Amino acid sequence: MTILNGINMDVKQGESVAILGPSGSGKSTLLGLLAALDSPSQGSILLDGVPLETLNEESKAALRKKKVSFIFQSFMLVDTLNALENVMLPAELAGIANAKEKSQAMLQRVGLSHRLNHFPNQLSGGEQQRVAIARAFICEPKVLFADEPTGNLDSANSDKIADMLFELNRESDTTLVLVTHDMILASRCQRQFIMDSGNLSEKYSEKTSEPVSETLAEKPNENAESEQADIAVNKEASSWS
Amino acid sequence: MELKLAWRLFKRELSQGQLLLIILAITLAVLSVTGLASVSERLQLAINGQASKFIAADRIINSPKEIDPAVLAIADDIGLARVTSMQFNSMVYAGDEFQLVTIRAVEQGYPLKGNIELSSGVAQGLPSADNIWFETRLGGLLGYPPQIEIGNANFSLSNEIIRLPDAGFNPFASSPVVLMRIEDVGKTQVIQPGSRVTYLYQFAGDGAKLDAFEVQAKPLLNTSQRWVDVQSGDSPIASAVKRAERFLLLASLLGIALACAAIGIAAQRYCQRHYDVVAMLKTFGASAKQIRILFGTHLLLVTALGVVLGLIGGFGLDRLITAFLPVEIAAYSPPISRPILLGISTGFISAFMFSAYPLMRLLSIPPLRVLQGHLEGLQLGMWLHLLLSLSAMALLGYLYSQSLPLTLTVVAAVLLLGTLLSVLGFFMIRLGHSVGMKTTNPLQLALAGLRRRARQNAVQLVGFSSALVLLLTIFALRQDILNEWQKQLPENAPNYFLVNIAPEETAAIADFLKPHVDAPAVIYPVIRGRLSAINDEPLISSEQKKAGDEGRVGISRELNLTYRDSMPDNNEIISGQFNQDTFDVSVESGVAERLELALGDTLTYTIDNQSLTVKVASIRAVHWETLQPNFFMIFTKEALAPFAYTSMSSFHLEESQRSVILSLIKQFPTVSIIDVGAMVKQLRQIIDQVSLSLTLVLVLVLLASALVMIAQTEAGMASRQRELAVLRTFGASGWLLRAATGLEFALLGTIAGVLAVIVAEFTLYLLKTQVFELNVYMHWPWWGIAPLSGGLVVALLGLWRCRQLLNKSCSELLKAH
Repeated sequence: MTILNGINMDVKQGESVAILGPSGSGKSTLLGLLAALDSPSQGSILLDGVPLETLNEESKAALRKKKVSFIFQSFMLVDTLNALENVMLPAELAGIANAKEKSQAMLQRVGLSHRLNHFPNQLSGGEQQRVAIARAFICEPKVLFADEPTGNLDSANSDKIADMLFELNRESDTTLVLVTHDMILASRCQRQFIMDSGNLSEKYSEKTSEPVSETLAEKPNENAESEQADIAVNKEASSWS
Repeated sequence: MELKLAWRLFKRELSQGQLLLIILAITLAVLSVTGLASVSERLQLAINGQASKFIAADRIINSPKEIDPAVLAIADDIGLARVTSMQFNSMVYAGDEFQLVTIRAVEQGYPLKGNIELSSGVAQGLPSADNIWFETRLGGLLGYPPQIEIGNANFSLSNEIIRLPDAGFNPFASSPVVLMRIEDVGKTQVIQPGSRVTYLYQFAGDGAKLDAFEVQAKPLLNTSQRWVDVQSGDSPIASAVKRAERFLLLASLLGIALACAAIGIAAQRYCQRHYDVVAMLKTFGASAKQIRILFGTHLLLVTALGVVLGLIGGFGLDRLITAFLPVEIAAYSPPISRPILLGISTGFISAFMFSAYPLMRLLSIPPLRVLQGHLEGLQLGMWLHLLLSLSAMALLGYLYSQSLPLTLTVVAAVLLLGTLLSVLGFFMIRLGHSVGMKTTNPLQLALAGLRRRARQNAVQLVGFSSALVLLLTIFALRQDILNEWQKQLPENAPNYFLVNIAPEETAAIADFLKPHVDAPAVIYPVIRGRLSAINDEPLISSEQKKAGDEGRVGISRELNLTYRDSMPDNNEIISGQFNQDTFDVSVESGVAERLELALGDTLTYTIDNQSLTVKVASIRAVHWETLQPNFFMIFTKEALAPFAYTSMSSFHLEESQRSVILSLIKQFPTVSIIDVGAMVKQLRQIIDQVSLSLTLVLVLVLLASALVMIAQTEAGMASRQRELAVLRTFGASGWLLRAATGLEFALLGTIAGVLAVIVAEFTLYLLKTQVFELNVYMHWPWWGIAPLSGGLVVALLGLWRCRQLLNKSCSELLKAH
């Protein structure tokens, strides 16, 4: 079964990109591939200049540790660890010094300095996602992947989370790749792509006034090898069975 | 860093109660092993200690010649107490009277264990020089002379011996015993080159010293020297001790197996709960090595805590039981090193080997699971899990019991259960396809639930049925062993034996006993004879056989033959019919096997220089442990009529009727009386002690079973919750859901019950035939009781576990989901 078909895209350092599309269109599959969690059956992906298909699982993990971070719809916090410990987790895995102090600062940054010792089940959905955001930024990733980050939140909380996400993104010059079907959230990204039945197309962007409506596959893949490009995908087909 | 993380995760999960089940399972395994091992070591020490009074020592070396002094030097180096004695037959003379006696010449220090009972009470010390102590009946035979002659020396008769501690139990030992100092033997000059003398070297000391001695000394012994310990005798005590020991071993072994099952299930749950954590850690770039170290350490911490708690609990258990034991047993304190080592190794081996497969799956969870929640790690197949679990169980079993038959029986039972479960699982998945999910009929809902959760159910069945198997097996075995003992030692078990009854005294003795005993004493005639040929082929000795001679090896000593009109009560015919014709003989099964006898074979005996040929008409099983006169060969009265005989009998007398014995001795001075009352009392005490420990083991097994069952119902809770949410949403009533859930668990319990009965009967068959030498029979009531009670208990447990889910409203269920 072919899930992704003829996808060709590149994302530059510091850009925010939204991938929109209905359920089952292949958004999450693409995210998994871009984030080096999965491997395509064909085609190639460059992450910060590194061709992912040449890496084994261990090297991919090492790459993720150094350069990538995540935010999930279901927060994916460890239930048994408190807020502070959840944030410290990736920092400790990466062997960052002062993990605790940094995590405390990060939690303060997302407005949870009074909730350090609370466990996930003692926090509201919005608070849990803020912990997840703090955790995502603790290692100063080059790319942040977010899978429906506001999907489990009400609109007030969604806005807050989105504000926080974009603010941190700007401050730390992190590339943001966001999968959502929330049009409002997507509209806050610099670029929007639409995924439909495994085909990807870039939407006309008001912010850059760049008329991009045709599929990326038709565009020359000029930035694929460029050092500025954070992610480049050249994919005739990605199969999933 | 990983270690710190592991510690943090452990600390948190512990305080939130997430590790309760797995720690409890490990604790229980360690607790039962440590507790039972130390209790059974204490019991064993006590039993052996008391039984060793019957050989007046802990170990004996029995030799026809003086032993190599190097062996004695070893004992002295190790620090064992020892005494040497000589035993030989000699004539004693008192004027014109003479009598063949057995002389025990002993060294200062005898007896190392137990006491010499004299008519005047318990002896202090030994006969003084030129004095002998004599068995009561010798006095009667010789007319109580003041002095006797043995060889070239004269001795004064000073005390009457009622019982020597190591007199043993041999109603056929016919010559009276005389006790003298070993220093006096030389004066008699009866020991000449070529005289038949037995040297007895008795040793006593603690277990470790005795073991060390055995290791060093045994290789120095030659084939004519015999190593004797409390268990090597064929006394009733030895066999009771052996059986009790084996049962304790088995019970603990099954307890371990059950606790292992609990650990296995808990470990699976433990790993499953960490699937998301591993996926998340991998997503954030944790390397495989980091995750291995993290979870390896985590499991190590969990196990260590379980082991520590188990050791504490085990010693608590030991204290508790010891408090209930009689003082003389509680006073024994076995070394604690073995129970501790066993406990620790049980904890770690079971935790790691049972977790190995779930852990491998946990470590292989792909990071992509963070996006696709259904992804799981590699599926290596259940066979690997089974193999690992089985080897863990076999390893632990062998480590604990050091008995291959016991270990193999447990493994065979596990294999049978596994096979039955796979067959059942296969059918459950295949046959259930047609069952729909109608929301009106609870039975259909329950059946559908069973099928949908076929995989989890298979795991649940493992837990339910293994718990039941162990419960049934231990229960039945305990019952059988207690019954068997009760049969062996009924309240009125004979405590006195009379031997050497002359034919003309037989009637008088029967009349004498009549007013004092409840049942008329059975009097057995005894005729001594040697088996000389089978099917007209002469028999040879084992020495001749070794030298290369052809022919069957016979019995090297004279046999005690008897005749009877009917079979003795406690014997059973295995094949053939009890003596019908004059020249029929009934043969004991053990001897028949050794001599390779079949029905219809002819046996030729030499009795009083005449020969008698008879035909094997039946083969009999004899319970040697019973304190009844038992015989290898039973003839017809007519066949043995031409030969001279004496008679023997046994009877029960209350303690208060001792005076009867004294007047019996006076009236029939030539009859030997053997008092086995002390032995019977001892045997009873041992049985009582062991019964207590058996009951205790049963309680432990019950606890373990409950734990396994509770662990089981937790599996599958998540999918159950989803399903209940859906059914509730579509309007299923609370009653329907409760009924369906209850029925589903009841069905599971019933199936587990049926499986358990099959496996338990099989296990019991193996155990009874291979290990315990008990009668095999089917437990028919179980076939009804086990499935019914299994269904009931599991249904109640299931409903109890699901009570919160069942009481939740539809929106709560959906939200929680």
